[in-house]
Amino acid sequence: MERDKNPHWLSRLNPRGPGSRTGRSAAPSGPCTADPETCLMVFENHWRQVSWVLEQQEPSSSSDDLTAVRNHTDQMLCLLAEERPAESAEGGAAPMGPILELVVTENILERLVQWHLRRGLDSDSQGALLKLFEMLIGQSQQQPLLQHTAVLHPLLRLLGACADPDLGCPLALENSLVLLLNQICVSMARQPVVLEMLFRAAPAQQGSTNLLIFSLLVPFIHRDGAIGQQARDALLLVMAASASNEAVARYIAENSYFCPVLATGLSALYSSLPRKIEVRGDDWHALRREDWMSVSSLVLFMNSLEFCNAVVQIAHPLVRSQLLDYLHNGFLVPVMGPALHKSSVDEMIASTAYLDLFLRSVSETSLLKTFLRFILLHRHDNDTILDTLLTRISSNSRLCMVSLSLFRTLLSLNCEDVMLQLVLRYLLPCTHVMLSQRQAIRVTDLYGKSADKFLSLIPECCRLNAASSAERDEDGAFWGKGGHPSIESPAPPRPSTPSRLAFFIRQQSSGGGPGGGGPSTPTSTEPPQSGASHPPCPDSPMHQQLANTECLDWDSGYLEYLKDSRQGIEICSWACRDWSAPYDGENPSPNVAAPPPPPPTSNPTMAMFPEHFSLQQGGSGSTPPPGQQRLLEQAPGEPQLPGDSNGQGISIEAFTQELRELEDRVRERGRAACQQEETARECLSSERRQPQQEEEQQPPSVPEPKPPTGDTKGDGPALVFGSPARPLNKPASQPYTGPFMVVLFAKLENMLQNSLYVNILLTGIVAQLACYPQPLLRSFLLNTNMVFQPSVKSLIQVLGSVKNRIEAFAASHEDFPAMLKKAQQYLVARGKVDWADSPAAVPNLRRSDSLVKSRKPSLGELILRHTNSPTRARHAAQLALAHVRDGGQSLHSALFKGGAGAGSLEKQAEALRVKNAVYCAVVFCEFLKELAALAQEHAVTLPFPHSQEAEE
Amino acid sequence: LHPFIQQSVTSTCTGRIEPEEQSGHSEQRASPARLPFGKKQLPPIPKNAAPITKPASTGTLAPSANGTHASYGPFYLEYSLLAEFTLVIKQKLPGIYVQPSYKSALMWFGVIFIRHGLYQDGVFKFTVYIPDNYPDGECPKLVFDIPVFHPLVDPVSGELDVRRAFTKWRRNHNHIWQVLMYARTIFYKINTTEPLNPEAAVLYEKDVQLFKSKVVDSVKLCNSHLFDQPKMDDPYAISFSPWNPAVHEEAKERMFTYKRRPDDHHKGTQVSGLSWVKPGSMQPFSKDDSPPQS
Repeated sequence: MERDKNPHWLSRLNPRGPGSRTGRSAAPSGPCTADPETCLMVFENHWRQVSWVLEQQEPSSSSDDLTAVRNHTDQMLCLLAEERPAESAEGGAAPMGPILELVVTENILERLVQWHLRRGLDSDSQGALLKLFEMLIGQSQQQPLLQHTAVLHPLLRLLGACADPDLGCPLALENSLVLLLNQICVSMARQPVVLEMLFRAAPAQQGSTNLLIFSLLVPFIHRDGAIGQQARDALLLVMAASASNEAVARYIAENSYFCPVLATGLSALYSSLPRKIEVRGDDWHALRREDWMSVSSLVLFMNSLEFCNAVVQIAHPLVRSQLLDYLHNGFLVPVMGPALHKSSVDEMIASTAYLDLFLRSVSETSLLKTFLRFILLHRHDNDTILDTLLTRISSNSRLCMVSLSLFRTLLSLNCEDVMLQLVLRYLLPCTHVMLSQRQAIRVTDLYGKSADKFLSLIPECCRLNAASSAERDEDGAFWGKGGHPSIESPAPPRPSTPSRLAFFIRQQSSGGGPGGGGPSTPTSTEPPQSGASHPPCPDSPMHQQLANTECLDWDSGYLEYLKDSRQGIEICSWACRDWSAPYDGENPSPNVAAPPPPPPTSNPTMAMFPEHFSLQQGGSGSTPPPGQQRLLEQAPGEPQLPGDSNGQGISIEAFTQELRELEDRVRERGRAACQQEETARECLSSERRQPQQEEEQQPPSVPEPKPPTGDTKGDGPALVFGSPARPLNKPASQPYTGPFMVVLFAKLENMLQNSLYVNILLTGIVAQLACYPQPLLRSFLLNTNMVFQPSVKSLIQVLGSVKNRIEAFAASHEDFPAMLKKAQQYLVARGKVDWADSPAAVPNLRRSDSLVKSRKPSLGELILRHTNSPTRARHAAQLALAHVRDGGQSLHSALFKGGAGAGSLEKQAEALRVKNAVYCAVVFCEFLKELAALAQEHAVTLPFPHSQEAEE
Repeated sequence: LHPFIQQSVTSTCTGRIEPEEQSGHSEQRASPARLPFGKKQLPPIPKNAAPITKPASTGTLAPSANGTHASYGPFYLEYSLLAEFTLVIKQKLPGIYVQPSYKSALMWFGVIFIRHGLYQDGVFKFTVYIPDNYPDGECPKLVFDIPVFHPLVDPVSGELDVRRAFTKWRRNHNHIWQVLMYARTIFYKINTTEPLNPEAAVLYEKDVQLFKSKVVDSVKLCNSHLFDQPKMDDPYAISFSPWNPAVHEEAKERMFTYKRRPDDHHKGTQVSGLSWVKPGSMQPFSKDDSPPQS
């Protein structure tokens, strides 16, 4: 939501309309409506009086004089502001109105300001002058006053006085000053030539700087309230006006403090943010708008961040790149970096949540890039920010949730660089699959085998069929009829495909929406199919589900998952269409893929030296001679195609693979025997010797992960990595799918103990990953037939172990079915409430699939959706509780089985354990359906063409 | 009717059948590769076609399910067929267009354009019948609407002898696009062994000239029935109509300018799909477009 806001900043920049100044313009507006000649006469009359005062030799200190001058000046400037020039001749420049002409020829404004300055500018007069000029510039819509030096120079002289270190600008006048500057910028935005004039005006008029207006505005960048907003708006106008003016841009970049002030200001604002986020609900995991709007320091920060985003969006490339530079080196590295590494858990939670919020708020690509660079490449105490964040997923409860939420944000960017660092670089060498399986990487699951496998993991104890079997029969009864030519007589009804599914699919593609008008052209005359007005098929599962929300049938909602999966995959593959490679196991070639960083040497080591989670080298165990090692590393990369094997023959490959696997086993055993601590210390010292701090400061020449030596850009042959430059104690690359996968799978395996909210976030992230169309990732997560290396755990294995645990749990709790049912009721009710009050319920004519709105969303989706909003979730939970509180017994106390009142800690812990397990069972089943649906949808997805190809 | 098939086919062959030189061009325009429509390629329900309710089946659930998840069986079958259809689209078969029927995903309507050779200018409509125990059953049948004069096409039923090319249908290895490809191949490479149409086979061996003239007659016959109503009464059956600028011009224009987007693309204002990876580098931020650190 923050994202949407930024691009519209321009709309706020419209100059304050006349309405906003009614208060003041009421006073001197009397004569303005009169005819031009009268106005000129009145003006001349006032001027005579004023010039009489001005021409006195010694500046009078009499307050009478001052009052007189002020009164007359008020009248005069009002007349000037309201003057309409005569209609110009065709095409010619509009002639000056008579008053303006007089002002110019007599240099009236200059003389006025000079007079004030000579007699010593007290703050009262200064304020009066500021207001007067502000009125003049703001009101004079008729003639371009600022284009006349007779107006511009006195104005600059006045502003110069405000910038004067001796005079300065009193606090009380700041509002007037900023408002005046804002007005100048507004009129400059209308008349670009004014910027040039301002810039070229002799420094004499502007004090020491070339662009006085700019220097005066900069100190107000981070101000609170209206004044800060006006200053930022004004600066944006300067940015916009100077976007195509190299000289001004260069000046801003080289001679102003704009960029450093902006960046270091963010740092200052960040340091005043709460170190600890007061958390209300136990499902809270991310800062939403409604969370931070009430925290004034955060509002201030977000305003400034939004401003940075806007500047990056519109400023000249010079200014933009300087600002990004300062943001990286002046805010992210010195402030965000340490903040994310604070030792207190509360501070970790806060800084992670802040970073997540910032990422979600930034809309400009290059600003986002700066943030992502920082996260992916910057090393703080030897670890990248990413490494640090990854380790926190394995922590308990809140920190885990906040970190998961951050990763959800990162994944939602569909950014190749992020995915490369998180997952793909570990899969690229294809060492995680058996050699014989490499070709299967690109195979799609045509016949639903993987889907079937996922669904088969739904524990028997969770298959509570709520709907009567009769209903289900009916549900499955809509067979299509394959008319077969060989059968002459009317064919007996034979099961072919369920037309409800066919219908569903057709429904989906109907209308096509604004972006997809093509396919539906001939039918575009028909009104968009609205689920509300004509329910398409009374027997559709959606319908049935609506009628039956009290309980979840174990196999209900599958269509919804298919639909969601399709959308998720489509959006993701569309977003990824411009990636540099397909990541299909052939391109990039596994042979040239740089070996990813190895896993941490062992878990105990990790726990003791958590900062060494991402050791670049080190390790232990047997050390193959370099030659053999090279062979080992190259062998798995050899192409599989017989044509490419170049005489080596399959037997050699098989042999090297066997050798390799043997080697791995030996090493595994050796490692287990090895003294962990010693190894760790060794690694520690060797690591310390490598000065890696700030290695990303000279991008982009330094690749990541960084091989120990050599300028390997990653495109060198595998030989480079087998060269002696590599420490000899490094094991040949052990199949390792990377810390992200490892930590996610570990967390997943532990589902039974996780809280409901952790599980929802966690399964959401895995599902998000499973939307990615890259065969490497898709096959790793969803191809259940793939055979991985023994050391690589597959998703299906992890899920299998969760299934066993759930079944064991269910077997030991005879009231499991009842608890499960209650948990489902609770979640469904909670979802229903959330769904009902979601804004999506409002009919949206733009969307052809408004049918979606009327359906009950699938459970997992529901939960995911409302955990996005803590307030709504809490609200929903309360209502849901009330809803299911039949017989005066709330679900929770029912689940707790008296644990609530019992008091003993043990009992409470046991109750929590039971609660988590029961909720886990519900989420687990839904997750399996989600994965099955994803596996099926991948098989029917067409890739999107590269955007350049698509353009022509 | 499905707009794409109808229009593309019409635009390709209206009035007269284009000679090869030109059809190369039109083929490119109308080839499935350019077919950018919704991923599933299943068009919207025609205005007047209400969902067809079939007599309730008392039969068991789809046989491909392994029993445990019987209720998912139908999903697997339909998705398998959709996946097959997706493969067809990805194959970009030259001159071949197919469209699953409205009533059943097991029946596909198709048309094949022959660009050169003996059967040049032939436009043959056909129907593919997929066995309902797919992919575990026999190979799909392919039946031409009008029996083409060809050794491998049954002169009475119009059925193509597919089985000789797919003696045993192997899931994972055999795909429907291969059947379509095979149907195209027979018109370019004529095989006379064990013919379904012995007359054609014998003529081809003994009297090629006569064979040729019979083929020309057959092609003419097929093309003269091009504008006939489809044999099958199905909303998605392929039908041809003479080029009518009022109807087709705009649709054609829209086809060529259409760009496929995800369904809810319009709400995706958020940044996504970023990449700063230089092709071939496999390193993050290796592209050197305006590095922020100057």
